[in-house]
Amino acid sequence: MAVKIIELCTNCHACLPVCPSHAIYETKPHFMVDPKKCTECEGDFADFQCASICPIEGAILNALGEAINPPGSLTGIPLEKMAEAMAELQAH
Amino acid sequence: MTCALLSCKAIFKEVKQMQLPVLNDAPSAKSGCSASSCGTTDSQMDTLPDSIREKVQNHPCYSEDAHHYFARMHVAVAPACNIQCHYCNRKYDCANESRPGVVSEVLTPDQAVKKTMAVAANIPQMTVLGIAGPGDPLANPEKTFETFRRLSQEAPDIKLCVSTNGLALPEAVEELSKHNIDHVTITINCVDPEVGAKIYPWIYWNNRRIKGVKAAKILIEQQQKGLEMLIAKGILVKVNSVMIPGINDEHLAEVSRVVKSKGAFLHNVMPLIAEAEHGTFFGVMGQRGPTPDELQNLQDSCAGDMNMMRHCRQCRADAVGMLGEDRGDEFTMDKIEDMEIDYQAAMEKRKLVHQAIQAEMDSKRLEKAQKAAVKPAVAPQTRPVLMAVATSGQGVINVHFGHAKEFLIYEASPEGVRFISHRKADQYCGGDVSCGETESTLQTTIRSLAGCEAVLCSKVGYEPWEMLEQAGIMPNGEHAMENIEEAVMAVYLEMAKAGKLDTEQLRASA
Ligand code: SF4
Ligand code: SF4
Ligand code: SF4
Repeated sequence: MAVKIIELCTNCHACLPVCPSHAIYETKPHFMVDPKKCTECEGDFADFQCASICPIEGAILNALGEAINPPGSLTGIPLEKMAEAMAELQAH
Repeated sequence: MTCALLSCKAIFKEVKQMQLPVLNDAPSAKSGCSASSCGTTDSQMDTLPDSIREKVQNHPCYSEDAHHYFARMHVAVAPACNIQCHYCNRKYDCANESRPGVVSEVLTPDQAVKKTMAVAANIPQMTVLGIAGPGDPLANPEKTFETFRRLSQEAPDIKLCVSTNGLALPEAVEELSKHNIDHVTITINCVDPEVGAKIYPWIYWNNRRIKGVKAAKILIEQQQKGLEMLIAKGILVKVNSVMIPGINDEHLAEVSRVVKSKGAFLHNVMPLIAEAEHGTFFGVMGQRGPTPDELQNLQDSCAGDMNMMRHCRQCRADAVGMLGEDRGDEFTMDKIEDMEIDYQAAMEKRKLVHQAIQAEMDSKRLEKAQKAAVKPAVAPQTRPVLMAVATSGQGVINVHFGHAKEFLIYEASPEGVRFISHRKADQYCGGDVSCGETESTLQTTIRSLAGCEAVLCSKVGYEPWEMLEQAGIMPNGEHAMENIEEAVMAVYLEMAKAGKLDTEQLRASA
C-alpha cells in the first residue's frame, strides 16, 4: 500500500522532510513517492503526513487512486467560484 | 519579510512600509531628532535603546537615507511552508516577498552561501542577506540554519535576517540567537482567531492538518510567543501585516498596539494584492486590496501608535542590488560557479567602502538637520501637500516619469518636508513589446498617484503631461538632479505663492 504524487505537484518540498519512511524523493518533473518505502505512515501517525502538509489539492492520491485532498478541501474556494474564475481567464 | 507568507505566489508584495522618521534626521544616535519635520514619532524612536537605533540606522530596509547607499539581497533556500494563507497560491513566490508570477530560484545552502559572497565581493554596498520565500524559512530550519551558520563564519561582515509566519518560531529562537541575526520579521495579520480564520484556512501542526479558528488560534499563540522570546533574547523584531479590507483593516490598529507593547521595533503594513488569475482564495473570491489612500490612512493611524517605516519597497525574494534596483541577472548560479572569490580581500575593500558611505551619510544627515531647523516661509496654517518624486537614489530627482518603477511620496507642510511612502508605478513604457498597452498602464500609474498634487521627475513626456494635468497632478520637470527635499519645498512655496494652498480652497475642495 502506498500513496502517489501526481503531476499537480508544484515541487514545494513540504512533504519531503515530514515523511517518517523517507519514501519521498525530489525528481523531475515533480516529487515522487517510492511505493516500496511508503508505509502510509502506519504505526507512526494517524494521518498521511505528506498529505497533511501538501498545499495542493489533488496532488497526492491514496492507494485507491482517490485525491486525499479533494478540490476545495484546502483552499476553501467553492468549486463553482473556481470554475467561474477559470472560465473568465480562458476568455481572455 | 518573511513570509509568513514567504512563499507564496505572490499575491501581493511588500509595497510599503512604515517609517522611522527620527532616524532619518538624527545626526547622531544620542541627540535625538533635531529636525522640525520629524512629526509625532520622535519620542518613540527616542525610547528605543541606542543599540537598536544603531542597528537600524544603517539598515537599507529601515533607514530612509541608508537605503540610498546600502543594499540588501534575499536568497530562497527553503521552499516548504507549514501554513496556508488565503493570499498565497503556493505555486510561485511568497506573497509577502514577491512580484506576481516571478518564481525565485531555490538554492541549496551551499549555493546560497556562494551567491551571497559573490554579490558581497562585487557590490560592497550589499550589507544585508535575508532568507525569504518562497516558503517559510523556519519550516525548513536545517537549510536556513546551515546557510546562516556558514555565512556567520565565512562572511562575518554581512548582517543576516529572516522572515517567518511564526508557526515554528518559538523552537527556532535558541538557534537563531547563535548566529549573526540582525533582525527577524514576523508576518502577523491578526491577534484575534476569529479574524485569523478568515485569513488562514489551515496549518500543519503536531503532525496534523488543523483548520479554522482552532488553527488560527495556535498560529497566533506561536507568533506572539516567538515575538516575546526574541525580544527576551535581545533580537530585533519587525512585524509585517497584510492589509485586507473588510477582514483585518480595522483590526490592524490593535495588532500594532499589541506588537509594539511587546517590543517590536517596527510595524510594516503592506497592501493585499489579489487577482483572480493568481488562483488564490482572495483572488478568486474577488477580495479587493486597499487603495493607496486607504493604505496610507491606515499607516498614518498606526503611526501614532508605532514606529512606521514607509520607505521600504517590495522586493523579490532573490533580488540583488540596491533597494528597488534588481541586479539578479548578473548573479545567476552558472555565472557564480565561475567566479573566484577572495573574501578576505573583499572584506577589506568592503570596509573602506562602508566607511566612505558612512562619512557621506553623516555629513548629509547633519546638513539636513541644519536646514530643517529653518522653517519654510509660509503661514503656519497653510495646508500640507503630497508630492510624488521619481528618483533612483542618492537623494536627487533623476528619473524620467515614464521610466519610474516607483514614486517616493513626500509631504510638504509648514513644518517642512517629510517622507511618507513609496508607491509602485507600472512602468508605462519599458520600450518592450508590452507597449501596446501603454494607455492603460499609464492610467494605472496615474491612479497610483492619487492624492498627490504634483509629481517631480527629471522629464515628463507630452502624453503623460496632459493626463497628469487632467488628473489634477501637476507635472514638474524643472528640478532635475536637485535634492529632493529642497525641490519639494521649492514647489510647495511656489504653490503657496500662487495662492493654491489657501485654507478656503482646501475647504472648497474637501
Ligand atoms: S503516506 Fe506517509 S509514509 Fe507514505 S509517502 Fe506519505 S508521509 Fe511517507
Ligand atoms: S507537498 Fe505536495 S506539492 Fe509539495 S512537493 Fe509534496 S506533493 Fe508536491
Ligand atoms: S502560505 Fe506560506 S508561503 Fe504562502 S504566504 Fe503564507 S506563509 Fe508564505
